[in-house]
Amino acid sequence: MKTLGGLRIAVAVLAIIYILIPLIVVIPASFTSANYPSFPAEGFSLQWYTKILERPEFLEAFINSAKFAALAAIFSVIFGTLGALGIAKYDIPGKSYITALLTSPLSVPQLVLGIALLMYFTPMMLAGTSTGFLIAHIVICIPYVMRLVLTGLSGFDYNLERAAAILGANPLTVFLKVTLPLIGSAAISGGLFAFLTSFDNVTVSLFMVSPEMRTLPIEIFSQMQDAYNPIVASVSSVVIFISVVLIVILEKIQGVGKVFGGSHHTNG
Amino acid sequence: MEPIRSYASQEIEKDLNPIEPQKEPKFKKRKVWIPGLLLLTPILLFIFGFFVIPMLYILYLSFISTDNLGGADAVYSLKNYTQIFTDSYYLSSLWLTVKISLYSVLVSLFLGYPVAMTMAKSSARIRGYITLLIVSPLLVSIVVRNFGWYLLLLPNGTINQTLMALCIIDTPLKLLFSEIGVVIGLSNAYLPFMILSIVASLYNIDPSLDKAGAILGASPFRRFFSITLPLSIPGIVSGCILVFSLSMSAYVTPALMGGANVPVMPVVIYDQINNLLHWTFGSALSYILLATTVISVAVFTRMFEKGKFKEVFR
Repeated sequence: MKTLGGLRIAVAVLAIIYILIPLIVVIPASFTSANYPSFPAEGFSLQWYTKILERPEFLEAFINSAKFAALAAIFSVIFGTLGALGIAKYDIPGKSYITALLTSPLSVPQLVLGIALLMYFTPMMLAGTSTGFLIAHIVICIPYVMRLVLTGLSGFDYNLERAAAILGANPLTVFLKVTLPLIGSAAISGGLFAFLTSFDNVTVSLFMVSPEMRTLPIEIFSQMQDAYNPIVASVSSVVIFISVVLIVILEKIQGVGKVFGGSHHTNG
Repeated sequence: MEPIRSYASQEIEKDLNPIEPQKEPKFKKRKVWIPGLLLLTPILLFIFGFFVIPMLYILYLSFISTDNLGGADAVYSLKNYTQIFTDSYYLSSLWLTVKISLYSVLVSLFLGYPVAMTMAKSSARIRGYITLLIVSPLLVSIVVRNFGWYLLLLPNGTINQTLMALCIIDTPLKLLFSEIGVVIGLSNAYLPFMILSIVASLYNIDPSLDKAGAILGASPFRRFFSITLPLSIPGIVSGCILVFSLSMSAYVTPALMGGANVPVMPVVIYDQINNLLHWTFGSALSYILLATTVISVAVFTRMFEKGKFKEVFR
């Protein structure tokens, strides 16, 4: 019995290392002094970090990624929070169907979603525009925000709103002073999660970008397809750093595990 | 999924709490639903306009056999679909996709189950740390994770060098741009989903069942195969379905880890749409991929729900 338990823990440790190892090797590889990427790195230098600054396309792509991720997060939080409030608070007929519809973009492959939006946007002159890009990213962010805010609302005590209304607060005051502070943390973690989802996305973005408007993951993707250059390692390390900071914040607010609880998530 | 609790244990709980807890005075939710609908209007319009309609639009396009998108001279037929089913290139690509997805399901099941069991047996604190460790990589872009694998799988990369130093192999294995590379990339990316699915069903197992088994003299081995494993089947099934459908539709990992050597359906579809500009044909391929995934998942679920262990799905 001891050996069985030991074997289980050994495989479990191995599996966790397996999950983490691709991220662990990227950071040391970025400090290489060679002209080709390798792990373990050869020598030590910061040249691939200073080279990022010499390549304006990376900086531009980074700014695009951050800008559109922030916009997608804001819009999906507004749409998602309003929608989740509508579902949680009122007896709307066919509620479960509405929730299923609003989270359904998760169960369609991102490749197919990207293709569908590209073809739909082309006659509308939205293909390759920043508006089209933003719309596509809001579609993929909405399900996560919906799920997080709905979870946050499940323990919501509507008596608090009633109490405020009885005490004479008008509906706007009730919303701003009672409802919003109570669901705020769920909405914020929904927003952070949406930011990361949009910031990291490759598959849908591939169909939405244009030569003038590219994002960081797309830049990394095409660098990897053309020629492997150690600059991919340093740019990737920067991406890992940003993700870790956001994950720490997300963990403090809500708990990262909650987002994926029994979820259907499409990535890659 | 409802927790599987024995009737007896519920009875015991009732006996221990003879006084029924006072029902909280619950205010009825408002019967009015017009304001709710108003709150839902923006998101519903958005999802309809930019998700439902585009998805239906490419379904419509897939029946046009000319590359002219729905113009006056568009010809509607099933030509795209018949072409897919008569051309061995697309059929073998579909089979390759299914095969690679099944491999990545198997790898993540065998690596994931022990992690899930360890999580179920650990304290809440350890469980929290493990969850954080396995979920965080999902929040880092897939291209970054693929780059990490690229470094490890290179002909002179860490894995080949380790294997050669241990004298397991003489010449470097072709790990990159091969099916193995794609399976590694996919199972690595989706393993966390498998773990989370299994863990959810392990939590729902009544611990008194295991105790009862032990009291009746069953060995830990027997208890695992007669109690824990059968009762966690719903989690295994949903984990397998999740990893399978995610692997079937993954584009980035096969494109970077397999390249032209591993032409799975998503890679073929991308090529048709973005490089060859066969939009209507690409739309038909997309729906074939969707249908294959949905049908495989339905067959797989039915197999389990109608099979030997149907009770655990109630």
